[in-house]
Formats: sequence, structure tokens, C-alpha cells
Amino acid sequence: MAEPTSARRQAGMQSAGMKKTNSERASPRYESREKVTGMARYPADMRLPRVAHAYLCTSRIARGTIQAFDLAAAKAVPGVLDILTHETIGDQPRQVPAIYQGGYLSDSFRPLGSAEIAYWGQPIAVVIAETYEIAREAARRIDVTYASQSPPAATIDSPEAVTQPLAPMDIDVGDFDVAYARAPVKIDTRYSTPAQHQNPMELFATQCVWEGDHLTVHEPSQYVNNLKFGLAEQLNIAPERIRVISTYVGGAFGAKGFLTQRTALIAMAARRLGRPVKLVATREQGFTVSGYRAETRHHVQLGANRDGRLTALKHEGWELTSRADTVAMGAVSMTTRLYACPNIVGRVNAVSADRSTPGFMRAPGEMPYAFALETALDELSCELDMDPIELRRVNDTRTEPVGGLPYTSRSLMQCFDSAAAAFGWKDRTRLPGSMRDGDWLVGWGCATAFYPTYAGNSAARVRLSADGRVHVSSATHELGQGAYTMMAQVAAEELGVPVEQVTVSLGDTDLPPAVVAGGSSTTASLAPAIMAACDAIRARLGVTDATSGTVSTAMATSGMGSIEEFAETRAPGLPADSIKGLYRGMATPFGGVHMADRVQFALGAQFVEVRVHARTHEIRVARAVGAFAAGRIINARTAHGQLVGGMIWGIGSALHEQTELDERNASYLNANLADYLLPVNADIHDIEAIMVPEEDSLVNAAGVKGVGEIGVVGVAAAISNAIHHATGRRLRDLPFRIENLMNET
Amino acid sequence: MNEEQDNNQPVSRQRRRFLVGSAQGGAAALFLSPLGNLGAAAPRKPASSEDIVSDARTPLPMTLEVNGKPHSLRLDTRMTLLDALRDEIGLTGTKKGCDHGQCGACTVLVDGRRELSCLTLAVAAQGREIQTIEGLANADGALHPMQQAFIEHDAFQCGYCTPGQILSAIGCVREGHADTPESIREFMSGNLCRCAAYPNIVAAVTQARQAMEE
Repeated sequence: MAEPTSARRQAGMQSAGMKKTNSERASPRYESREKVTGMARYPADMRLPRVAHAYLCTSRIARGTIQAFDLAAAKAVPGVLDILTHETIGDQPRQVPAIYQGGYLSDSFRPLGSAEIAYWGQPIAVVIAETYEIAREAARRIDVTYASQSPPAATIDSPEAVTQPLAPMDIDVGDFDVAYARAPVKIDTRYSTPAQHQNPMELFATQCVWEGDHLTVHEPSQYVNNLKFGLAEQLNIAPERIRVISTYVGGAFGAKGFLTQRTALIAMAARRLGRPVKLVATREQGFTVSGYRAETRHHVQLGANRDGRLTALKHEGWELTSRADTVAMGAVSMTTRLYACPNIVGRVNAVSADRSTPGFMRAPGEMPYAFALETALDELSCELDMDPIELRRVNDTRTEPVGGLPYTSRSLMQCFDSAAAAFGWKDRTRLPGSMRDGDWLVGWGCATAFYPTYAGNSAARVRLSADGRVHVSSATHELGQGAYTMMAQVAAEELGVPVEQVTVSLGDTDLPPAVVAGGSSTTASLAPAIMAACDAIRARLGVTDATSGTVSTAMATSGMGSIEEFAETRAPGLPADSIKGLYRGMATPFGGVHMADRVQFALGAQFVEVRVHARTHEIRVARAVGAFAAGRIINARTAHGQLVGGMIWGIGSALHEQTELDERNASYLNANLADYLLPVNADIHDIEAIMVPEEDSLVNAAGVKGVGEIGVVGVAAAISNAIHHATGRRLRDLPFRIENLMNET
Repeated sequence: MNEEQDNNQPVSRQRRRFLVGSAQGGAAALFLSPLGNLGAAAPRKPASSEDIVSDARTPLPMTLEVNGKPHSLRLDTRMTLLDALRDEIGLTGTKKGCDHGQCGACTVLVDGRRELSCLTLAVAAQGREIQTIEGLANADGALHPMQQAFIEHDAFQCGYCTPGQILSAIGCVREGHADTPESIREFMSGNLCRCAAYPNIVAAVTQARQAMEE
């Protein structure tokens, strides 16, 4: 454990046998210096002259109406400038549909739209004041009289919650009922996962400034063009009058993908006042400002022959959603396609309750659905007395069993073999409790990781100057995943110049548009666009190869000062008219199981060693090894960070994270960073991520599958399986806590 | 302006005014960690009307010494050191992640020790040396060994927690808590990193400790 991480990482890379190219070398991040000197300017760091400060007031009930506001005491605080409520705001912002209905917003609630309260934490007023302290004080002096309809439905099991089967997500192959009835070995189990929140370190901030009739918005975003075009509709102004800037994002993880209610309110407040307005929502408010990972329930039934071959597989999921929006990740579309099986049923249900609309959180559907399926497979391996790796091997397939479509590439067993070797799996003894180390019960477990390969329509501009300098730009986003670095490296490689000669601009709607930075698709979407722009530059110079210096030499002797090329690329599988969406903030990642002629996934294998204290039942992940095959890796350094970070998220999902509900009023009890547990440094020990070489020329022009989310997937199942191996106890409800091992079941 | 006059007053008197004033400021007064013992240290005589600021909102003149430079300010007594650094002085490298002392993003060095600037009221930071991320590199641009180590080990992703991590790590080394990976993990656990660059942070602190000791 004391071995330095960097040494381990390098060893991991070498063992994966990666070929070295310009882009795979592990140069520091493009924006390293800015980030270690405090010079990276996140949206809340922009200093706007005469800025006024906003403070949100949010609902203390989950269901009912606001009967009255008493604003007198708040208005009496010196320095208060304005208070927005549904009574004072007028008829704007306009109603704009949520993304789930083809619109732009993260939910269907019109900001401060009426006296109706649909969830705890709903924005009900915004105070604007000269200082943050005054705005906060005034907000606390607002007296709200509610008419509460209780009890609200808090979660999936609440009596008032409404379950709605989502028939379009049904999957039926062969005859499950007959095959399951006949199967010699059966598993029939239920699993659950809790509500979880992304909790990026950066708070939800918005700054708006009007110059004449032009609005500039500084807001951390995974999709600045979604903000621009959605806000234009809300405010009923031309999109050309709005610019959104988000050059650094302090983590997003799905929370900053789409327009939330706050932005239009701050834009309107700034217009009313004739001054810039700044909002930094509190950490607690952040739990309802945007979407989250909703709680899920699962019923898995597996039938198999004695040799381990699956004969019947059924996976049914239930996902919580709000009453206003039917949101379901429905990842049975993936769990039913992972392994060969002739008889399959997939079902998804949305369960509506009095909660805010859920959304996307790193591996949104993949994490919970993989937990259920991959734990069930381990239970099957125990039932069969079969090694869990061998169970995956006998059910491995090159063709997904639902539509009979081929995988573009599939290196699942190479991942298992590579990770098993690095982990030392051959030394595992089969029986639960057989690897005890003093007071510690040791357990080893594994599981499959998967993430669909997506890409979206994107554009980029590349300029080559006579002095050999290159500038590349696109309205994509740096979330920490390494977008700046990737863009610089792709351009450097395509034009044969040192990466130090490349500068990058991103995160600004004035730049060529790009897809939302979600679905692990940034590199798969942007690299082809940058490559196309570089191709065009080379074509103008009449240079075909990009070996070092060729292009710059041709440029230097061309007599031109600079060449600039714009390129847009349509992602594989998307229809021709989809390109329009790129220019109105509606580019979405596409691929995975939605392609007409194939399925495309990154795959991996997760291995963990769990130690459970025999007396205290404390659960620790002593080490984890993951091996992942995700097509071409542009930058091994940033990719490694994504994979390791994802694996640690997986540990968090298994052992720490749960948003606790007070079911009496559908509120959150731990909406802060002390009570919402997430992994801290002391929780994390030995983590090794191996990148298994894989070439896939079908997924996109860059051969990239993406690594942003796959690291999360499968870890929770591997931990569940390891806890069973350590203790003989099978835990099926996330997160696993000490108390779950104390009560005998 | 009567800043000089105020600055010449005994510290205890300034503190007393602050305490009385902020009692009406609500929750902010509860977050008094760096001055938690003041109630005992400065016995209170009955307050006379002239030395009480009856309204916490009344801006108080004060001087903060940040990265070796004095800044004369008039601030709401409820303002945290974090907000004073960011909004008043313009040093936005110090980050707000929770405002409740739960995440460590706002860590700065005060009199050489790591401290949470969101739990420190600006008024309570007078007369103390405050060092932020902006004050770490040399004037010639040479990075502090901890900054250099964070780059070399890729000890960040989104970068938002990074200024706090780096200052906390310097404090961790100075405290003598960076001798083993286990110790670093334990004493860096007040600084959350949601991107989870933890293994690389441990490696960076390990490297920088050696450089700092040379």
C-alpha cells in the first residue's frame, strides 16, 4: 500500500502493453498551472462591477400551496433591492418544456410559476440585495404561510406514490416463463439503491449581466448552448442576444447538464435592477436545484443450466420520479444485452412521488442496474459452485441477444483476465469466510463494468498560423475530464506540431457548438470534429501526411499568415437533419443500444478486496483493480484519472452515499457535506486502473469509446460479492453499512 | 474614514464590539471556531452605548493582511474571511464549496496554520497573516514544491478543491503529518475531492514533503 501511486499507474500502463504515440504520452494537463495557482476562473469567480447578490428561498413543504407571503420584515432590511415571488415576477419566464419533452429544462416547473408547491426545496422567492449577508438575512425574514397537503409521497414505497409501467421500454425475447420454470438452477432476488446526489465541489452559481439588450451568463455548465437557447425561449428574446460562458467547471457529474429554474430568475432580476446579479446557491439548496440519481428497486430472475449457461433472464426496475416529469434511465436495455441468453424479459416502471425531478448522475442507469444484475450473477455462481469469472466466460457473446446485433468490439474477457492477473485472483479460496486475517474477514469479489459508447454532433474550429502556432476552439466543456488537454493533443497530432504550440478555447457559446458534455462522449464527439478541421487545413496546404513538422513547413512557405477551418461532424447513426439540433442547443449523445445495425459498449472488469471487522463489522475496501477496454485512449494520464475517480465513486455508491429522506414531509435530512457521506482520502487505499488495448474503427472516426463513467459501474456489485465472500452474508440494498451486518437475517 | 483610529483601539475592544454586534447576525456568530475561547479570554464589562455596534449590518473598518499586503476594508461584520477574500479583495482562488466547514475547499493558511476561511469571520482575521493560493508561487513565477507536485502527479481534475488541497497539504507537512501515506490520508481527509484524485494527492504530498524538507 505504501508504493507510490504514480509508480503503480505506470506499471499498470506498461502491463497493458499500450503503444506509445504522441497523444498517449502522459503530459501534464493543459490548464495545470491555472489550477494550482488559483488563476482558473470558475463562473462564480467572475467579478462584475456593481454586482448585486441573490439568495434563494425554497419551500419547506413538499405538497400544497403558498397561501401568503409576508415580505414586510424582509423589505425593511436596509440594502434589500428586490424580492421575486410568483406574485411579483409577472408573466415571465415563459413555460418551456423539459428535455424529456423535447425542450431545454431539467424539469417541467415554470420558475416561480404559481403558488403550487410540488416538492420540498422548490424555489419560491429570490431576494436581491447589496451584499450576500443582507440577502441572506432578508430571505430568512420572509414569512410564508403554506397550505400543506399531507402526507406527501416521499419515495417508491409510499402509499401515495403512483407506479406507471413504461411499455415502450419492454423487452421480450423467446419464452421466459417456460424457460425459467424448466431451469435446473434459479435465482430470484430483489435489490435496491438509494437516492444519491452528485455534489460537485463547486456550488450552483449563476451570474447575469445585461449590456443593453444583450445578456451574458456566467454559469458552470455541461452544455452552454442548452442554456443559451432555453433561456432565450424562457425570456422570449432572440438567442443571438445571449452569451453563456463556462470556461472552467468545478465538477458536474450530470448535475450541470441542463437549464435549471434559477438561471431565468437571475437573468430577470438583473434586468429589473439594471445591475449584474450573482447567485451562489447553498449546498443544501443544491440538493434540489438540479436533478439527482433517483432511488431504484430491482427484481432479477435468472435461470441457468448446470454448466452455467443462462437460459432465462428477467430484470424489472422501478425508478422514482417527480409527478411532473416521467424520468427513467431504464438500463434493462443494457443488462438484457450483456450476456448470451435465449429467453429474456425487461421491464421498467416509473414511480411518481412528491419530489423534485431526478436527472443524470455519473453512470445514471448503469450503476444501479449493473449492481442488481451483477450481484444476481454472483449469487448464481455461488448456487452453481462456479468461479464468477468462468460464469461470465461461458455466457460471453459477440452478439447481443435481444436484437441479434453484433458488438462493434467486445473485450470483456480480456478485461477479466487482465484484472484477475493483476489482482491475484488465482489465490482466492472459494468458501465464504475462508480468507480470514486475524480480526478481519477478507473477501474478494468481481463484477462486469459496462458503459454504452455515445457521440454527438459537434463542431470545432482550428487555426494554423505561419509561425506554427495552432488554436483550436469549440463550445465544449472542461469538467475535469481533460477536455482542454484532449483538444490540444488531437490538434497537435493531426498537424504534426508540438502540443506546447497549441492553445484551446472552450465553454463559450460564441465558439462553434458542441454536444452536451455527458454520456462519456466529449472525446468521441470532439476528436472527429477537430480531426476534420485539421484535414481541411492539410488539404489547403496540399499536405497528406502529418508527421512532425511537415504541415508547419508547408505553412511557413505558403505565403499565408494563417489558415482557419471550421468543421462539423455528425455522429454515427444520427439522421442528416439531426445536425440542425447542434445549432439550437439540442445535440444529444447517441449510440449504445440505439444503433440500427450494431451495439457499442466499453467494457471492463472490477475486482475488490473487502475487509470486514469480525467484531465491529466495519467494512473497508482494502484494494480495487479495474481493467477497462474503451477503444482508443487519447491521453493515458487524464483517462487514468477518470477511471480511478470512477472506481472511487463506485466505492462511495456501495459504502457511503445515500440521500436520507424524512418520509413525513418528503424532505432531505442530510443535505450537506457532513451528513451526506462521500469518500474522503482516508477511505481510499490501493486503486489500480488498467487500460486494456482495444481498436474499434466502427464506433467513430477517432475510435474512442469514452472512459468518464464506466469506472463507477460494477464496483458496488463487486463489493457486495466480496462482502458475501468475506462473511457469507448477502447484502442487496445499497449502501452497505455496519448495521446491515449486525442484524442476523 | 476613521480606520486608523479604529485600528489603534485595543484588540479586545474591537472583539467585544464584534461579539455584541454579531449576536444579532444569527447563525454566523455560532461559527466562531478560531476565536472560540474569546468569551473567556476577554471578560466583559457592562457595555456602554458608545462601544457597541448595535447593528451587525453596520460596516466595520478593518485591515486584513493577505499574502503580505495590507487591505483596508469596511465590511459587514457577518462577512466571512472567505467572502472577504473573494468578493472584496478579489482573490478568487479560495473556493466556496459548502460555507459550513465541511469540505475544505476554502482552506487558507493563517499565521502559517491551515484554517477554514468560511468558518472565520473577516473581522476575526485582523492582525493575522493570511496566505492564499495566489501568494504561494514566487514573484518570478516559480511554483511552490506542493504546486509542482500536484501538477506532476495529476492530483486534481476539475481543480475546484485544489487551492484548498494545496494549502492544507502544506499545513499537513508543516505539522509533521505527512510522513506516511496513511498519515497523509488521515490528515488530508478534511479536504473533499469529488473527482476523487485522492491517490494522486497522496503521491503529490509525499513528493512535496521531501522537497520542502530539503
